[in-house]
Amino acid sequence: MTDPVPPNPLAEGLHDYRVADPSLMVIFGATGDLSARKLLPAVYNLAKQRLLPAGFAVVGAAIDDLNDDSFRKHATEVITKFSRTQPVDGRVLQSFLESVFYVRVDFGKVDDFKALHRKLDDLDHARHVSGNRVFYCATPPPTYETIAEQLKATGMNAGPGFQRIVVEKPFGSDLKSARELNRILQRVFHEDSVFRIDHYLGKETVQNILAFRFANLIFEPVWNSNLIDSVQITAAEEIGVEMRGAYYDKAGTLRDIVQNHALQLLALVAMEPPVAFDANAVRDEKVKVLRALRPILDDEVAKATVRGQYTHGWVLGEQVTGYRQEHAVAPGSLTETFAALRVFVDNWRWAGVPFYIRAGKRLPKRVTEIRILFKRTPHLMFGRKAAEDLDPNAITLRIQPEEGISLRFGAKVPSAGMRLRDVTMDFEYMTSFLIETPEAYERLLLDCMIGDPTLFTRADEVEAAWALIDPIEAAWRDDRPPLATYAAGTWGPAAADKLLHADGREWHRA
Amino acid sequence: MSTPQDTKLEPVWHAEGVHVGDVLSALGDIRRKFARVGAGDEEQPHSRNRVMTLVAVATTEADEKRALRACRAITVHHPSLVIVVREQPDVVKGRMDASIATDTHQSSAGLEVQCEIVTLHVGSAAGEHLAPLVDPLLLSGVPTYLWWLGTPPFGNRGFTEALKIGDALVVDSAHFDQPYHSFLGLADVAASSHEHLGIADFQWQRLSPWREMIAQFFEPKDRRLFMQGISEVGVDYVGDGRGNRIGAALLIGWFSSALGWKLERAVGGSGGVGAAHFMVAGNRLLEVAFRPVPKADLSQGAISAVRIGGASGGRTFQLSILRDPERPHMLGAEGAAMELRELHPSGEDHAGAEVAERKAAQHRETLLKIRDMLHHTNTGDLPGDSTLKNPTVLARDRRHPDNAQILLTMIDIGGAETLRHVQHVDAEDEAALLLELLSTGAHDAVYDRSLAAAAELMRAL
Repeated sequence: MTDPVPPNPLAEGLHDYRVADPSLMVIFGATGDLSARKLLPAVYNLAKQRLLPAGFAVVGAAIDDLNDDSFRKHATEVITKFSRTQPVDGRVLQSFLESVFYVRVDFGKVDDFKALHRKLDDLDHARHVSGNRVFYCATPPPTYETIAEQLKATGMNAGPGFQRIVVEKPFGSDLKSARELNRILQRVFHEDSVFRIDHYLGKETVQNILAFRFANLIFEPVWNSNLIDSVQITAAEEIGVEMRGAYYDKAGTLRDIVQNHALQLLALVAMEPPVAFDANAVRDEKVKVLRALRPILDDEVAKATVRGQYTHGWVLGEQVTGYRQEHAVAPGSLTETFAALRVFVDNWRWAGVPFYIRAGKRLPKRVTEIRILFKRTPHLMFGRKAAEDLDPNAITLRIQPEEGISLRFGAKVPSAGMRLRDVTMDFEYMTSFLIETPEAYERLLLDCMIGDPTLFTRADEVEAAWALIDPIEAAWRDDRPPLATYAAGTWGPAAADKLLHADGREWHRA
Repeated sequence: MSTPQDTKLEPVWHAEGVHVGDVLSALGDIRRKFARVGAGDEEQPHSRNRVMTLVAVATTEADEKRALRACRAITVHHPSLVIVVREQPDVVKGRMDASIATDTHQSSAGLEVQCEIVTLHVGSAAGEHLAPLVDPLLLSGVPTYLWWLGTPPFGNRGFTEALKIGDALVVDSAHFDQPYHSFLGLADVAASSHEHLGIADFQWQRLSPWREMIAQFFEPKDRRLFMQGISEVGVDYVGDGRGNRIGAALLIGWFSSALGWKLERAVGGSGGVGAAHFMVAGNRLLEVAFRPVPKADLSQGAISAVRIGGASGGRTFQLSILRDPERPHMLGAEGAAMELRELHPSGEDHAGAEVAERKAAQHRETLLKIRDMLHHTNTGDLPGDSTLKNPTVLARDRRHPDNAQILLTMIDIGGAETLRHVQHVDAEDEAALLLELLSTGAHDAVYDRSLAAAAELMRAL
């Protein structure tokens, strides 16, 4: 976005200086799980890093019958428990709590929103906030419409300063519902003021994909179908559905992970260089990739996708139950806990290069990574025997938990003869930078206050992603392909391996 | 920052009266051995994984310990080669007593990484031959940081040569002997050194919270115009004498250079009071007041308050940032240091004050040594083998590590009520400060610019 005001000359050279204008952050659902685990600890840590401006305040809004004091007590408890930085600094927390307030709000009652409005106006005057407000919906998606409409009815979506709304994924459950949600939000807020959080995008290593690709000259010339054989994206979790059984049984892996996280990673890997690192330039390029995804339709779904559900097994040395035995999951559930897809990006750069995506729960370990596999050398002069241990070059972008980048290449084994073997060159994020990695929510909350939506998902991205997912979902509802099972603690059903074997490839060991 | 491990690192190699080639050879052996640990014949040896060479130059045993402590705390997370060099008169000139210790940690990826800590005791002043001494040991392809504890020998030819091997010189201008002259020496180095040399200053890092608070105040778009309406600036600092004014000068050097102010003249009064006149936008002359304040709980030279006020667009504004405004008087280390200063009354001029300060510092040094001797006599431990239980840390230098501090920001805009904003600054930890300095790559154009402006101001005052 164009900023007509020149940069603050006093901010130059201040390390990690990203300060927003003073604002009030209203958290709807402030007594809920997301607020407790992520939001309040993230705001506290921003305060600890001195990244919150004088005047900033949090206003909790929820149906619980609390007041400023009891909400502060609640905030103290959850921050102490969930803060990334431990132990919690009592002095910082005490100062932070002085800027925390609470208003009881029943989302269905306009009078409650009027009371909230009055509270915000009072704080606005006392704290020199100039009308800047961020409304964070830490509530179930069905409430978004009500909240947006009430904000509009009470005039809190307009006025001096900025007014922004933040919503969490899932952004709809299919293309139709996503469009409807976008329409509702855009009726109340301008699209530039709608911040759709996909916390994956706040991870440093996800952002590093852009740095890796576009800040280095040596990778871009090889980043295309001339030299790249295939791309594998893995988003594996060792945990089951835990307490999210009711939600997960309706969503499944395809909607919960593939539609957002995995396709966002794909877009970042496959996008063309944006003209600038700004919100619209980056998101324009991402949406081009998502729109270039070849639709998987009808009969193709059975050939290009795999869906699986875990049964009991062993994960990290612990015996675990099957999905259907999980809390709040229907005993006969057909919801997938594993999804694998072969997709193509139909554009000049990626013509013919398959992108394999696999995501699932109760896999052997938590790992998210992208592996770029290169083609074999056209001619190996060392002979077949010398190179029998040699695999094609590969670049692995590790997103979590061991953030880093590896390059695999061949080298001569020290000996009298000529024998080649794979070696890897590792870049490890944590050790190579002398800086602690911030939590994704801290980064994203600050971006939202600053008004930088680069790492947030735009409406057209959401819709383009659903356009790929919808036909797959439709076929899966018709049991095409049939739901396969896999033992917890394995890398998914055998059909996932067959998906790649059919192409003469195999999944890499993540 | 995690606290450094206090376990003593046993050297894996030690030799006396050797040359740097012997150290290099020993280092090579250690690396080969490590690379093979845990790797079978067919497996790939551990790859090198080090992110920097950190050369620390110490002049006293206490500084050497400080350097080792801070470096170890950093290398726990960031595998590096650390070279600590210290002058030791009983070592034969041209030779050295050297030892190598290794610290092995497991990285988050499960790989073992090894940090190497090389200690060199040399027979002559470290600064005279530093470059030929350590150059052969440096890692290629990663940055080299040269951390000079104490006061670098500015102007010394050997020191100037030493700067050529480093990507950055790390100093603490709040620790300098002869602070006024040394600070100007630092500014000269910054102005004349090779273009790739960065300068990182602990004192600059300590100013970060002040800079952040001030920048934050002017951040909102509707307050940006206030910058043109500033009519008064004041800085309070602790202690008198021009040497204690460096931090304040650096802060004003930053502020004035960022806003494009031009120094017209400056006058220094008795007792450290001073005023600088800047030509600012609109051809206005603006006075910046420097005021020494007695604050027993803050270090000499520390900034205790900043005030910026003015009017723009029909609105008046006042920003006041106060450090530790409600902090009770602190006894202990600084209390003892203050008493020592009272034993050495200052003369009537700045030079006299500095001489008195040096005497007090020597006195503290002597007390420190006596304390250590008594401890070792009492316990029977060799020096360095144990530490005092709950030791009283006497301030050895002008500046001691700060306790946790509070910055209270008060904002008055127009007729609205005063907005109070409390922020906390972590307790000063040398390793954490060093890490922050190194993490920014130590090439800081804003510091260079501010240093030049501060030096100009110091010369004029």
